[in-house]
Order: sequence, then C-alpha cells, then structure tokens
Amino acid sequence: MRRRVGELSSERLASILLLPSILIIVCVVIGPLVFAFYLSFYKAEPVIGGISSEFIGFSNYLYYCFKDPLFWNAVRLTTYFTVVSLIIELILGIGMALVLNKRFIGRPFVRSIMLLPWALPTVVNARMWEWIYAGSSFGALNGLMKVLHIFPADYDAVWLGFGVPFQNIPLVGSFMEWVGASTALHMIILADTWKVTPLVTLLVLAALQPIPDNYYEAAGIDGAGAWSQFWHITFPLLRPVLLVILVLRTMELFRVFDIIYILMQYSIRVMGVYTFEVGMKFLHFGKGSALSFLVALFILGIALIYVKLLHSEEIY
Amino acid sequence: MGIRKSKVRKYVSRVILYGLVIIIVIWTLAPFSWLFISGLFPYKELLSDRTTSWFPENPTLKNFQAMFDMSSHIGQRFVYALRNSLIVAGSVTVICLIFGTLAAYALARLKFPFKNSIVMSLIAIRMLPTIALVIPFFVIIRTLDYYLIQVNANFNFYNTKINLIILYIAFILGFVIWIMRGFFLTIPRELEEAARIDGCTRLQALWKIILPLSAPGLVATGIFTFLLAWDEFVLALVFTKTTNAITLPVYIVSLGSQYIHAYDQIAASGFIAALPPVILALLFQKFLIKGLMAGGVKG
Repeated sequence: MRRRVGELSSERLASILLLPSILIIVCVVIGPLVFAFYLSFYKAEPVIGGISSEFIGFSNYLYYCFKDPLFWNAVRLTTYFTVVSLIIELILGIGMALVLNKRFIGRPFVRSIMLLPWALPTVVNARMWEWIYAGSSFGALNGLMKVLHIFPADYDAVWLGFGVPFQNIPLVGSFMEWVGASTALHMIILADTWKVTPLVTLLVLAALQPIPDNYYEAAGIDGAGAWSQFWHITFPLLRPVLLVILVLRTMELFRVFDIIYILMQYSIRVMGVYTFEVGMKFLHFGKGSALSFLVALFILGIALIYVKLLHSEEIY
Repeated sequence: MGIRKSKVRKYVSRVILYGLVIIIVIWTLAPFSWLFISGLFPYKELLSDRTTSWFPENPTLKNFQAMFDMSSHIGQRFVYALRNSLIVAGSVTVICLIFGTLAAYALARLKFPFKNSIVMSLIAIRMLPTIALVIPFFVIIRTLDYYLIQVNANFNFYNTKINLIILYIAFILGFVIWIMRGFFLTIPRELEEAARIDGCTRLQALWKIILPLSAPGLVATGIFTFLLAWDEFVLALVFTKTTNAITLPVYIVSLGSQYIHAYDQIAASGFIAALPPVILALLFQKFLIKGLMAGGVKG
C-alpha cells in the first residue's frame, strides 16, 4: 500500500504506538528484573535508606542447589502439587466437558455457571474453603461427612492439618512422607481444582463444538465403542487446546503462592512461599532473588519440554 | 425386542446424563452458595453444629450491612478497601486497554524491525513468577521513598494507590497486548485496505474499522484485566498497609486471626467482593469464552 503525503511510515507509526507500552514494561518489569538478577549475586540485606550489598558470586545459587535441603523439599512439594492438580483438572475438566456437550434441558444455564468459580477472586476462594474445612463441628465438610455417615457423629477431622495421609499403605505412605504431602496440601489442591476445572471445561467445550456429529455416527456404524470413539476422534481434535491448557496451567501451578500462603502461611513451603519467606519475611534480598530465578528456570525448563513434545508430535 | 432394548438403553443413558449434570451443578454452586448462606447466619448460629444447622433459623442481612457501617472499624476499612479496589482495578483496566490496544495494533499490522523479538519477550514475561519482581520492587520503592523523605517531598510510593496502579499495569499490559494482538490478527486485512483506498489514514482505519470490529475482544480483554487487578494479592500485601491503599484481597485476608473466627465477616465481605467480577463474567459470558479461546488464559 502506498503511503499518502504526510502520513507516517510504518516504522515511525509503530514506534509511536509501541512507545508507551515499551516504556512501561522496560522501566517497571525489565529494569527491576535486571536489578533482581544483579542482586542474586550479592549478599543483600536492608539498612536505613537502602541495602547493604556484598558481592558473593554464585554462592546464593550454589547454596540452594547443594546445601539447602529446604529448597529440594520445596521442589518436590511444588512438583507434587503441580502434577496432582494438573491430572485432576484435566480428567475432571474433560469429563465435565463431555457431559455438557450432550443435549439436555438447561444447558445454557449450566454452561454459564461454569464461569462463577473462575470469576471468584482467589482470596475469596481461599477463605471460603477455609470456612468449609473448619476443623470443628461447625465446619461444613465435617458436617457433610457426618450427615453422610462417613464419619461417626462425634468425630471431627482437621482438614487443614499437617498429618500425612495414606500412612498405612507401604510405598505410597513413605512417598507422601518424602514429598511432605500433608492433608492440608491435598485439601488446598481440591480448593484450587474447584476454581480452575470449570475453566478447563469451558475451553475443552469450545474445542468440542466444531466436531461434527456424523464423525461419531460413522464410527458407531463401524462398531467403535464409546472409549474408542473418544480416543480416536475426540482426543486428537482436542490435542491443541489440551496443550495450551497444559502449558499455561503448569506455569500457574508451579508458581502458586496466594492460596497456600493465605490458608497455611509459611507452613507449606512450595517454591513460591519459600521465596517469599526468604525475600520478604527474612529480607534476604539476594538469596530471595536467586531463588526466584531458580523458580523461573524450572518454569522455563517445563515450557521447553512441552515445546519439544509439541514438535515431535508434529513430525509424526 | 431390539427396539425395546434400545429404548431402555436410551432412557437409562438419559437418566445417567441428568444425574451427572446435577452433580456438576451442585459441585459448582454449592461452595459459593454456602458462602452466601453463611453470610445470612447471625454469629451465634454460625458456630453451631453443622449436622443440624445448615440454614439460619433467624436469617439476617446484618453481616452485609455491617460491612458498610462507617462508624465501625471493620466497616470503615471495608468501604475504603472496596473504594481502593474499584479505583485501582478501574484505572488499570482503562490505561492497559488504551496503551495495549495501540501496541497490539502495531504488532499485528505494521512491519518494523525487532517485531518478533518484542512478541517473544512478551511471552517470556508472562512466564515469570510474580515473586521474582516483588523483591526488586520492594528494594527500589524502599530506597526511592527514603530519598523522597530526604528531599522533603510531599509524596511517597509505599502504601499509595498510584504505586499499585503502576505495578499492576506493568504486570498486566503484556498480557493485554498479547490478547488484543490475537484479536486483531483475526480481522481480515482487506477491510482495512479498502478503508485506506477510500482515503483513511492507518489510525483512522484503526479507529473506524478495526476497533468496532474487535469490540467483543476489547470487552473480553477489559474484563480479564479488571479481574486480574481485582484479584491481585501479593503486591497489595507487600505494598499497602492502611485504608489509604489496602485492596479487598488484603482486607479479606486480614479478617480474623488464630483465636477469632470472623467467618461472619469473611462470608459477608467475600460475597460482596466476589460480586463485581462474577456479575461482569455472567453478563459478558459470550465474549469471554471467545476471548479465553483467543489466547490468554487466566488461572
């Protein structure tokens, strides 16, 4: 397209349009990030009017990788939280989407309420479940368990407790112990899953809708059962959206902080919580920065694995 | 025989389907309904045994009214937190939409050097944990405020709304650019070129052709932005302290303590805090689902 007289060139216009955004992102995101990277090589503590800093090279990173057992505990715990949450979210999300994709009375209503948990602020979600899990007779979950006769009338479980479940099962019990997966962690997974699964459902539903019914009819005539129809027709068509969900959710889950901090403060040390504790509670700015870059490195690693998986699938 | 068998089968599968739908509806609505019902309990009844008391005997709106009672400490803090949340989330949404749309247009339509690296770095920024920025922000703002006091400036950053607004914009802007770029890419180039042949400049074409066509995208992105800002917790926790700047998430977390069950207050304030995003989401659900598909998914 030829430019009219007096009109800006493409580069000029682009730089004007981008200027405010780039200025903000460079000053408030990239600048502080570079500063944090710099801090991660220092022993930096607060003093009046600023920080004292002493260059210590890679010591912060080496400390966490080789000397600090808490760091590897946090890695295990975060990985467990991420993997278990992902599995539940995906299975429940796909299952709910398959149900809601059928024709039934009230379908628009059921679909629209799927947005409710998604829109609920994380903090409200956390405190709502804290109240449901309340560890006395007035807790809703304890009440429900008693009404359903799963618990005896005089028993109240401490849902947000530190006990490790499945202790009596040999291998699973010691694995849970090794990970540090307490009852509280599992209840937090449930609360977080409640909020996020409907979103997975909506995304999968949107991807299911364009699949024409006659695919299934043809498969049915050929004698394919429900499972084989799902595996050979539905699943391949869902793969792109599942991959997007997988990547984004893994990143979100791996950096989880809010819900765990609100419900358990520093007692469930996933990587987000541990970083916050080191950096903002103990005010070790250098160490905290190093930790946050290690978290970022893990997330980057996961993202790269996914990209690689995607590519190898494309070659097929 | 065969026909009857298939009829029975169809009937059974209907029953199973409706059973599953009912389970899904209950699972989705029950926790939030319980929060609302809890808000209707007088405090004494709220802490009674749940096996018998699922609904208040004397339902009351007192808990909700107490939130707006400016003469009490709790009510005053709530009203200020609500006001701060509205101001912060509203400003962040407007500013992000304006700057983000312009940048997204450039990245979707114009040719210029380093375009791909800018797009890639936007994605990279999204992968960062918020915590990675909290520490440098804290050090920088602490130092800045110290110098501002030294020069007797009438202004500081800590515990102000403007500080939160700046930090939130920085976090959310990349996300807005990313989604809006996705929306612009779906609009056929020909429309814009036709307008240009009719004598429009690029900016006129953006204003008259592209923006109206991407209105659903703008609405969806606006709601995402508002929700992200309304939801944000870590930065508000670190950088606000008093009614001058605390937001609703910080307020709701501050309720109660190890020894005091403030669940009447938590239920009432939590329900009110959830209303704006929930209503927005339900009102604009058609746009939102399209927008969720278009690129950005908030967790």
